Amino acid sequence: MKTDDLIRALAADTVRRPDLRTTLMIGLLPALGVAALAVWLSLGFRADLATALVTPVSVARILLTGVLGIAASRLVLLLARPEGGQTTRFWPLAAVAAAALGLLVWAYVTTPEEARQMATVGKTMTTCLITIPLLSILPVGVLHYTLRQGAVTAPLRAGFVAGLAGSGLSAAIYALHCTEDSPLFYVTWYGLAIAGVTLVSTLIGARSLRW
Amino acid sequence: MAEQDDAWGQLLAAANAGDARAYVRFLQSVTPVLRGIVRAKGGGLGEAACEDVLQEVLLAVHLKRHTWDAGAPVRPWLYAITRYKVVDAFRARGRKIDVPIEDFAEVLAAEAGPDPTEAADMNKMISMLDVRSAEIVRKIGLEGVSVAETGLALTMSEGAVRVALHRALKTLAILRERHVK
Repeated sequence: MKTDDLIRALAADTVRRPDLRTTLMIGLLPALGVAALAVWLSLGFRADLATALVTPVSVARILLTGVLGIAASRLVLLLARPEGGQTTRFWPLAAVAAAALGLLVWAYVTTPEEARQMATVGKTMTTCLITIPLLSILPVGVLHYTLRQGAVTAPLRAGFVAGLAGSGLSAAIYALHCTEDSPLFYVTWYGLAIAGVTLVSTLIGARSLRW
Repeated sequence: MAEQDDAWGQLLAAANAGDARAYVRFLQSVTPVLRGIVRAKGGGLGEAACEDVLQEVLLAVHLKRHTWDAGAPVRPWLYAITRYKVVDAFRARGRKIDVPIEDFAEVLAAEAGPDPTEAADMNKMISMLDVRSAEIVRKIGLEGVSVAETGLALTMSEGAVRVALHRALKTLAILRERHVK
């Protein structure tokens, strides 16, 4: 087949695909809704949610995980484009990580020595480490689907930001239930859950996002 | 260079809004540049193999055209797809090449020449499609039959032909991927 013939066939194909932002929103918003509903029905939101939302140290983890999720979702949309691999800047993610670490250090210093261990281990570590990855499955799946509809040229990085985005948003939703307000607890265990999901997402992305 | 980018941007924006004629002009005007890049990077493979790679790139550009952001310049987007597919294609042909994207600016456009090179791979892939899809691609591509006439010939609605053509092109991209790996 000559290239001119191919061009003729390509030009006759007028089926248009939705842009990536639309694809992402149509999938991600319902996925997050399902995650919130699942938390509400199975674990319930914390009774003092209204108070927690105006308590700085408590609302900080919703903000941190939420900002991480939104910043990483924007990076997903950038990395879904072929030139995204060259232009994407990762400093917003580093800024969130730095803020979380700062909070951890602050909590370590201000928590009396004898209370540190209890604050870190908490009572719901296992629930946290199981629930956040479970809640992440659907959002991360949607993000990977969006990336596949795009033209990813940096599959490893795309899988990485998809994992951070999905697990960050899921952790923010889980925080509506969780009553462990010490940064010693949430930076550690939320962080570990997010890191685990991100690792899996990165490994999957490196394989499945080639085209 | 910037002027050319603007022209490509206008054509591609019109094409993505549904202007088929603008789309043909877009593809026709990027093809010599892409051919130049492919030949500069993989000249040792011979012209026919380079034309195969070029067609692979064009198919990728086509199937991923919705990933271009109308506010962004066309060239970085186009070159990123080209680079990805060229590296992929040459690796599949047993050659590892390094394709620094900055080099692309210096590549001269290459016309197909008086007797356009016949690329072999695409024919092979088309014959691996189901009979009807293959016939649609051949009619529209090789014979230059319109979508409407193809529909009449195959007793399909115009819409059905369009959908079948779109699926066929997507399948071709997947087949190439599998075939070359």
